[in-house]
Amino acid sequence: MAIRVQVPAPLRSLTGGAAEVSVEASDVAGLVDALEASHKGLRDRLYDASGELRSYVRVFVNEEDVRFLGGKAAPLKAGDVVAIVPAIAGGL
Amino acid sequence: MRIPRQEADAMVARALEGYPFEVCGVFLGRGGDVRRAVGVANRETERPRVRYQIAPADLIRLQREGEAEGLEIVGYYHSHPDHPARPSETDRSVAAGGLSDGVFHVVIGVEQGIRGTPTAWVFRDADQAFHAEPLEIE
Repeated sequence: MAIRVQVPAPLRSLTGGAAEVSVEASDVAGLVDALEASHKGLRDRLYDASGELRSYVRVFVNEEDVRFLGGKAAPLKAGDVVAIVPAIAGGL
Repeated sequence: MRIPRQEADAMVARALEGYPFEVCGVFLGRGGDVRRAVGVANRETERPRVRYQIAPADLIRLQREGEAEGLEIVGYYHSHPDHPARPSETDRSVAAGGLSDGVFHVVIGVEQGIRGTPTAWVFRDADQAFHAEPLEIE
């Protein structure tokens, strides 16, 4: 099942400059594994030391936040569009 | 980084108008060339005088808009009402936890809602820090 993954600029050094890549996966955890297999180093940028999605990294499936779809177990199907988006925040 | 004067002026004007709250926005451009500074809502609801948040939905929307124009998200801006125009420890820790390598940040110090001073920075994962970046307003 081909899933389209939109890659933010800071990760494109790992995708050969590609803004979008396609991988086969049936859930978000599988997607991260597939990304790591084809673009080594991506997993460490998406997961923290405990293997969970980093707190300031958001993953969206068809514009739905995966945190509300089951997290790493969120199912994926052919044609889904996954967006990896940094959480941008800060202040004084 | 370079930014057109019209965009820089509008960004600073927006920071002054938003005082005493933090305002924020997104830079669309290519590499170090910012073409547009797009203001977005500060989604911080609890402490908007001292914190800002950009909704991921706004980032997805602007990423799509940018692609249609051959641009991408190259950075962000936010204001520091009555505080120095440099990244705070909060800014640094958020950037260190996410996807910020090589991303530009402009911080606009706003004094009493009257004077706004923008400074530019680029975050580097290598040392988990912001580095001062020349801000060329053209």
